[in-house]
Amino acid sequence: MAETKTAAYICKGCEIGTRLDTAALVKTATKSGKMNIVREHDFLCSAEGVAMIQNDIDNEGVTHAALCACSRRAKTEAFNFPTIAMSRGNLREGVIWIRPDTDAARETTQEMAEDYVRMACAEVKAMTVPPGNQKTGTVKTLLVVGGGMSGMTSALEASKAGYKVVLVEKSAALGGWAAKLHKRVPTREPFKSPEDNGVADMVARIEADSNIKAYLNATIAKTDGAPGRFKVDIAIESGAIAQEDVGAIIQATGFTLYDANKLPEFAYGKTPNVVDQAGLEALAKAAAAEGKPIRRPSDGQPVKSVVFVQCAGQRDATGKHLQYCSGFCCNTSIKQAMYFKDSNPDIDTVVLFTDLRTPGNGEDFYRAAQNKGVIFSKGVVSQVVPSGNACTVKFKDLILNEDTEAQADLVVLATGVVPNSGVNIDAPVAAPAAAPAEAAEGEVAGEVIATIAPESILNLTYRQGPDMPQFKHGFTDSHFICFPYETRRTGIYTAGPVRRPMDILQAQEDATGAAMKAIQAMENAGLGKAAHPRAGDLSFPTVRLEGCTQCKRCTVECPFGAIDEDEKRFPLFNESRCRRCGTCMGACPVRVISFENYSVNTVGSQIKSVEVPDEFSEKPRILILACENDAYPALDMAGMNRNEYDPFVRVIPIRCLGSVNTIWITDALNGGYDGVMLMGCKHGEEYQCHFVKGSELGRYRLSKVGDTLKGMNLETERVHDLEVAITDIATLPQKINDYAALIKSFPPSPFKGF
Amino acid sequence: MSDLNQEMAARYKNNFLKEIEEQAEMGEWVKMCMQCGLCSGSCPTNFHSGWDHPPQEIFMLIRAGKREEVLNAQGMYMCTSCYNCYVRCPRKVPVTHVMHGIAEYAYRIGRAPKNQPTMHLSKTFWTNATKHGRVNEVQLTQSLYFKDGIGAGIKKAMEMQKEALGLVKAGRLNPMEALGMGHKCKDVKGIHAMLAKAEELEAKNKAAKA
Amino acid sequence: MTSVVATNQTILVVGGGISGMTAALEAAETGKQVVLVEKNPYLGGRTVQLYRYFPKMCHPTCGLEINLRRLKANPRIQVLTLAEVTGISGDKGAYSVSVKLKPRYVNSNCTACGECGKAVQTEIADEFNYNLGKIKAAYLPSNMAYPQRYVIDPSIIGTPDAERAKAACKYDAVNLDDREETISLNAGAIVWATGWQPYAAEKIVYYGYDRFPNVITNVEFERLADPHGPTGGKILRPSDGKEAKNVAFIQCAGSRDENHLRHCSRFCCMGSLKQTHYVQEAYGDEGKSTIYYIDIRAIDRFEDFYQKVKANPNVTFVKSKVARITEDKAGNPVCNGVNTEGYIRYANAHDLVVLAVGMEPSVKGVQIPAEVMSDSSGFIMADPANAGIFGAGCATNALDVNRAVQSATAAALRAIQVVNKVARAEA
Ligand SMILES: Cc1cc2nc3c(=O)[nH]c(=O)nc-3n(C[C@H](O)[C@H](O)[C@H](O)COP(=O)(O)OP(=O)(O)OC[C@H]3O[C@@H](n4cnc5c(N)ncnc54)[C@H](O)[C@@H]3O)c2cc1C
Ligand code: SF4
Ligand code: SF4
Ligand code: SF4
Ligand code: SF4
Ligand code: SF4
Repeated sequence: MAETKTAAYICKGCEIGTRLDTAALVKTATKSGKMNIVREHDFLCSAEGVAMIQNDIDNEGVTHAALCACSRRAKTEAFNFPTIAMSRGNLREGVIWIRPDTDAARETTQEMAEDYVRMACAEVKAMTVPPGNQKTGTVKTLLVVGGGMSGMTSALEASKAGYKVVLVEKSAALGGWAAKLHKRVPTREPFKSPEDNGVADMVARIEADSNIKAYLNATIAKTDGAPGRFKVDIAIESGAIAQEDVGAIIQATGFTLYDANKLPEFAYGKTPNVVDQAGLEALAKAAAAEGKPIRRPSDGQPVKSVVFVQCAGQRDATGKHLQYCSGFCCNTSIKQAMYFKDSNPDIDTVVLFTDLRTPGNGEDFYRAAQNKGVIFSKGVVSQVVPSGNACTVKFKDLILNEDTEAQADLVVLATGVVPNSGVNIDAPVAAPAAAPAEAAEGEVAGEVIATIAPESILNLTYRQGPDMPQFKHGFTDSHFICFPYETRRTGIYTAGPVRRPMDILQAQEDATGAAMKAIQAMENAGLGKAAHPRAGDLSFPTVRLEGCTQCKRCTVECPFGAIDEDEKRFPLFNESRCRRCGTCMGACPVRVISFENYSVNTVGSQIKSVEVPDEFSEKPRILILACENDAYPALDMAGMNRNEYDPFVRVIPIRCLGSVNTIWITDALNGGYDGVMLMGCKHGEEYQCHFVKGSELGRYRLSKVGDTLKGMNLETERVHDLEVAITDIATLPQKINDYAALIKSFPPSPFKGF
Repeated sequence: MSDLNQEMAARYKNNFLKEIEEQAEMGEWVKMCMQCGLCSGSCPTNFHSGWDHPPQEIFMLIRAGKREEVLNAQGMYMCTSCYNCYVRCPRKVPVTHVMHGIAEYAYRIGRAPKNQPTMHLSKTFWTNATKHGRVNEVQLTQSLYFKDGIGAGIKKAMEMQKEALGLVKAGRLNPMEALGMGHKCKDVKGIHAMLAKAEELEAKNKAAKA
Repeated sequence: MTSVVATNQTILVVGGGISGMTAALEAAETGKQVVLVEKNPYLGGRTVQLYRYFPKMCHPTCGLEINLRRLKANPRIQVLTLAEVTGISGDKGAYSVSVKLKPRYVNSNCTACGECGKAVQTEIADEFNYNLGKIKAAYLPSNMAYPQRYVIDPSIIGTPDAERAKAACKYDAVNLDDREETISLNAGAIVWATGWQPYAAEKIVYYGYDRFPNVITNVEFERLADPHGPTGGKILRPSDGKEAKNVAFIQCAGSRDENHLRHCSRFCCMGSLKQTHYVQEAYGDEGKSTIYYIDIRAIDRFEDFYQKVKANPNVTFVKSKVARITEDKAGNPVCNGVNTEGYIRYANAHDLVVLAVGMEPSVKGVQIPAEVMSDSSGFIMADPANAGIFGAGCATNALDVNRAVQSATAAALRAIQVVNKVARAEA
């Protein structure tokens, strides 16, 4: 590798030159920054300015450059020098745009600028260009677990893009629930009648596809490794184990229907004439096979009247059943009512619902059913009473505002879905002591999330547990609106109703998207590139094992389960699982974890490079560590809107609150800073952190800093944690100012000058 | 089975819906209503006295199999044919026509109340219009005003005096009509022939449907 | 002349909203060459005009920031703004596309320093804020605008104002000679992600959107609630600037209606539930919301959100499609109708009425190549098995953001399937 040669560039454009003494900045970069080359330019982002930098790289051998101009978020197309290490000193959005252009402010503004120049120099010197990771695997075969509509779709779509697929299905046949359906809800205009379920065609295509290897009657016994190099043990029928090397995984294990026996008021189990929707599909399939009308289970007589009870167990606010809506059951009942109406319009079919949920083109399907004579009413069913071969459905008709009832030969309960998502790795180990006896396994905080014995699906060898982390109600969804596929396990995606309740049409779309993400994960793992949200980042965490005390903080905290333990109980980093959030680095008490382009030192040296005036100057220093995803852009936009804030703050962007190592805070306080402000994203259930758990873990860590402060005899308010959203453009400067005022009300830090 | 039990058993069954579909004009639209209530809310009559059930509710009652309640209802006679609901219904249910269809059916099977005001208006209007080939407005008004007796008629006429004079001045009302004069239709005979033919076709249609 | 590098292995993405950006990024991050064409002068589409997203109440710009960073870091995506596809010929694996580029009058020298904006005097309607305010004719469309470059409105070209803008720029970034041009490029596959538009509320005559100033649409309400919107985030009603503390939401305004849009627009129930939070956020317990609905379609785990709003005593639900809006003497819009649960007539005066207007595809009426089929509502229904042009996001159906992104991710793979085939053939 070439010798290190450093350069700093000071831009005079955008009024930087008129607002600041740039000659003094040049001096700062030379003297305290100790940069080998320092240049000013009137308009650094112009073609000429860029050429100047490029020339220094090409002909002067510059390897490290500090660009002191505008924010790192601006002019990225111009300042694109991928071969060198680069930092940005934010003199525009971070200094002149947030300070008034007055004589009174000139001195402090200049001091601010000089510090940012020092910081940019210090930072870049602590960085190296990531060489990329050599150790990652390059397997490009996709594993799909679950052979229902979602799984089959993922397999076929990946194959069509040219990738090999291993498909593992637990049961003896492909097709999942869809194969059990007599017909499916229509998927194309005019949305008037049920369609063929489409399974046979899919299965035939899978069988004919030489890229796809399907294992039936098989489950995953063990999943080891990381994206690009997973090693999977598949338990096959014979009891033997088949081994496959795969690069990425899609889990499409679908759902189980909610157990209708838990709804005794609806007489399920008391009479065969009350069935769930799956039961009706079976009746319809059997009837169709014999070419006969659907018959009443109790006596085999053709059904003359049916009542569908929607939300049988779903949308339950009492906490006894499922809280969520299963999404497809309204359309399914409409479809099933048509099974009757299409064969004999004289059969009475009534659908009782509280809200009929047929979004999108479902509205056409709803209308088609009405046109066929299906009767819909808004009503709440309280009870189903069997008597002989009939049933009485007691309900309140909310339109006619009366308690009433309807007689039916058959009652269909539209029960909901429970995801097959495996073991809840985040569940507290012991069940709460106060839980009632019948609150069996899988019940958490008064809500039923699973009725099936949680058996691991993926059997991951990951230190953090064998299955995908669950989000809510047992679904393995993500809570990002904009990034629905971002789970906490890199290279493993879930698709279909295991992720979120959905119908076949959406599940197939979802499965195609999941295949896209999985393919992308394999491709990037092979290149050593990070996955979302730092896509393309070639850096990866390195650990100096000599210093490691085996405290396991990093292995426990990594939000993405990237770190296992080796035989000697040292942390074992699986780079292609890593998202480069830096949480491990922040967690490490002995600071042995770092990235080429981000480390304890890249931030620490910036903190140290700031000039801290003595206690008599009345110029406090406040360190702000701002999340680069939300807080830093908010500060930038505050600048764009010329929302001013205090000149005594120094802002350093960080990857995530989770990456904040407490040494930065103690260093700052020991170095005479008067306060430290931390800005990170929302955590908890409605998390906004782009590393899911990062800000939460960071905050937990920081909550312990109070003791350190007390030990140092400092006010605990000197460290302040602020939850920031990217839109806090106007409020954030105000909060900074309020905090600065508070700090100014304290005596100066006693550590100044040490 | 007692009447009550029979009625219970017929709840939410298609029997009555089918009856309406077959017998009432436009009755086949009843099943298409999605109970949004737009029709009921659109009605400019604001459901003054007599409106026991607005259209959307009548449609639900039919679907709930409440035959007696529907046939005894007043709602369908109250419609003034403003067509507000008709043009707005998101399901394109021709609400006005369905209401008339149901009213006409109830009348046909002898369930319409005697002296129901709208019913009276329709009948009088019809007789009046078919007789002259066009509406004789003064005679029509007179027969409406005097439907409840001479006293009530005079009172009503006095109340409306101002409006009537205004209409006369504007040339919109010809007092000579009271004597069977005034505006005339050009071909009364033709119209009578046309109506006879229409009646014949209608009868045929009904026979075919039943 | 704008130059674009594109081959038959290039994927063209039309529309730079969240769906188009997603499709472009997913493909590019898988190593594909992408050209992203956007009609507006900035990327982000309609989501940028939303204040918060349901059900998390987070801000759309948060995701946009990440997507922009992905974009800036990815040399494989070429972005064309103020650009529209005017013609497509050829077949899958070998399309030839013409793109019309409108002049921006500002080149890449722009530093977004804002001097031109200060110099210009003319004001134009603020489209970003649904014309609820005015902006200078030299403007940065929003704080998050990418490319981060000013735009000069064509209306001032040839006027002294344009000269003023030019004179103000120290970086020679204003180019008044900029001309419309049409370029042509190759593409192996095309993702059509042109999104949606709000249904034209004035067509629902009985709601008087164009007669009553205090009847507005849900998209406009987002701008009113946004601290960076025309009212600085205060929910003030248009007629007299009074604080709107009693707000009505009318569901299915245009949707589920055979006289307007036949489909259910899927997002608008959740949209109004979300907007009740805005009222609450602004006025606390004094903020009252009433939702008039037919069915509340808070599907799947969105149900949690509905339950939360339902539990809020300041929010009332009325099962009714409002029949008409009138205005009382104080200028309050009055909702008239019947609560169908038990037949209760109402005439409720509110400070402000928000019409939850539905989604129409913005492709409707636009000439798109014959190969792309659309359904009777105008949504794209490409044949994924055989096509080389694929729909993504709301161009294909009324979708919320989450589902639109899912759809766009799927579309990226479909496009990759085509160009991978080309690559195999060319190899
Ligand atoms: C009665 C009923 C009617 C419906 N009607 C319709 C309709 O008409 N239209 C519509 O769009 N939707 C309908 N749905 C919903 C639809 O069935 C689902 O959306 C769709 O089938 C989901 O497909 P999937 O592949 O994701 O899940 P599933 O069908 O559940 O498939 C999951 C597969 O994974 C396998 N699996 C599970 N665990 C493991 C493991 N550990 N290892 C390996 N394999 C495993 C399972 O055996 C199964 O084959 C209906 C659902 C029901 C219950
Ligand atoms: S945009 Fe940045 S680099 Fe360009 S002139 Fe302005 S401050 Fe300098
Ligand atoms: S889809 Fe319909 S039946 Fe199913 S849970 Fe949702 S509202 Fe209830
Ligand atoms: S950087 Fe983040 S994802 Fe990577 S190992 Fe560390 S904690 Fe895990
Ligand atoms: S407007 Fe139409 S759909 Fe709505 S209640 Fe009336 S008839 Fe039914
Ligand atoms: S989502 Fe709700 S408001 Fe929107 S069209 Fe559907 S039912 Fe109506």
